Formats: sequence, structure tokens, C-alpha cells
Amino acid sequence: MKQIVIKKSVLESNDKIAAMNRTLFNSEHVFTINLLGSPGSGKTSILENIISKISCKYNLAVIEGDLYTAKDAARIARYNTNVVQVNTGGACHLDAPMIYKALPYINTTNLDFLVIENIGNLVCPASYDLGEDMKVVVMSVTEGNDKPLKYPSMFQRSHIVILNKTDMLSLTDFNKEEFYQDIYSLNETIKVFEVSCRDGSGLDQLIDCLMRAIKNKKDV
Amino acid sequence: MHELSIVYNILEIVKEHAKNNNLNHINKVVVNVGEFCSLEENSLTFAFEALSKGILCNGAALVIQKTEAKAYCTHCSTEFKVTFMSKLCPICKGYSHQITAGYEILVSSIEGE
Repeated sequence: MKQIVIKKSVLESNDKIAAMNRTLFNSEHVFTINLLGSPGSGKTSILENIISKISCKYNLAVIEGDLYTAKDAARIARYNTNVVQVNTGGACHLDAPMIYKALPYINTTNLDFLVIENIGNLVCPASYDLGEDMKVVVMSVTEGNDKPLKYPSMFQRSHIVILNKTDMLSLTDFNKEEFYQDIYSLNETIKVFEVSCRDGSGLDQLIDCLMRAIKNKKDV
Repeated sequence: MHELSIVYNILEIVKEHAKNNNLNHINKVVVNVGEFCSLEENSLTFAFEALSKGILCNGAALVIQKTEAKAYCTHCSTEFKVTFMSKLCPICKGYSHQITAGYEILVSSIEGE
């Protein structure tokens, strides 16, 4: 019987490829976000709003993650945006090799902004670095304010949380005070944007924040 | 369900090291799982049993050792234990977002012959 000490990271193979993706994004000055969130929270609706406000100023591209369908990519393609569909065939998260393989289908020269829309899931995608600059997580008021504490890793690791469907606040028991208390106990430095894709409120502040980040990366 | 892909990667690492050390059968695999990883122990064990059937690790024991989550306070130059809900430095009571341990998943060691 022999004992071998290894001490090797299980995510090392993912993280190596994520580093290659990040090197490419940095050398081309492409600001990249990993758009995460629960199913039905409004990730694609938010993305549609981002595209319609940002595409006149910056070149953007989208990688759409989905288990089986190209429904979201079809929605995004309506905006004449460079979009690539990645189907995971049932896997619950995107990983760095999937993004690496999708990149040849995007023209990264002169690209300013890349959005990777992940699989709707508040658990697994948090653990996989894709090479992004920022993790942005979307949740909606109809899911209830207890979600950050129920899925702490996702909210702890994100830079921005978007609280969507705020037009429905009065119809739900969503407790904003508890929501903010929980969010900041998990992650004191997270930025919170309250938005409604239905009535358009709060979207300008979110888009301003993203445009500043795109510009900063361009100017590096 | 990402426990399956995690176990797949564990087995790839085990395979590589077994080959390098001329081990033909593995009896025990020890992994370190950080407290912030959101990995469920039973699902890991279940995935390990399912994926290791009939191969090098058939019947091997998967030992899961949890590792504490820690953060570093730049103000006090100290490392301290944190949880999801509490990341305040015990000395200055300031918040630290510099997580130094807790997200790691490591294959720590293997035993075989």
C-alpha cells in the first residue's frame, strides 16, 4: 500500500482555460460580464435592454448558454447583435472550455463588450470562472427576499446584483430591508440595482455603470 | 448537480497520479472541500460511486475533509475564520472581502497498490 500526496485543485483545468480567455479579453480590451441568475428572473430581458442602449455606442457580442434551445439567442439576434449559442446538453453551468470553443465564432477585434449569459441556476455557475471581469447576478422580487441567504455562494462572489420586477413589489411580501441586510452581510462591497424591465425604472443607472466599466477597460 | 463534473475531474487527477506512481488499484481518495464551495457531501459520494465503477477506483473510499473559510484583514494584517454571514475582523471589526480560503476543492492524497 502506497500513499501519494497530491494537493491538486480539482478546478485547475477550468481555471487554466479561464486564464487564457481572460488574457484574450485583456489584450483586446473587451469588458466581459458573466450574467447569472435564477430561471425566469429576467436575465434575457435585461440583456435586451442593455443591448438596445449600448449597441449604438459600443461594439458588443453575446454568448448565450442554454441546456437545449436557441430561444434566447433568437431573441438577441433580433437586435442585429453578434450572438453565439452554446448548448450544454443538460449540464447545469457553463465552463471556461465552452467559452474558449465559442470565441472563434465571435470577432473579438474591435469588440468592446462581451456578455456571457449563463444557465439559469443560482448554485453551480458560481464555482466556474469563465475569464470574466465581473459576475452580475439577477434575481426578481417574485422569487422572495430569502434567495441571497439560500444561495450564499452566488451572491458572495458577484460584483453586481440586479433586483428585477420591482414594479411588482406591492403585490408580493418581498421585504427589502431584510434583502439589503442579507446581501450586505454576505458581500459588503456588492452594488445593487433595483430595476423593472416592464416599466423601465432603474435601467439607466445600471447601463451607466456598465458603460463606465466598458470605457475604463478601453482606456487601460 | 455539478458534483458529477467535480467527481469527473477528481477521477482524472487520480488516474494521472496513479499512472505516474505505478498504482493499479486505488483504495482511498482524500479530498479537501472548502466551506464556501456549496458541494453536498452525499451527492459527491453518490457521484463518486457511480463514476468509479469498474475502473481504477472501483470500491475506493472517498474521504471528504471540510476546510475552514478564512479572510485576510489588510488593516490588522491578520487572517481569521469567516462564515457566509460574518466576515468581520475580530480585532478591528472591519469587513474583509479578501477571502483566502474556502473556495478550494483539492485532491489531497490517494492510497493504493
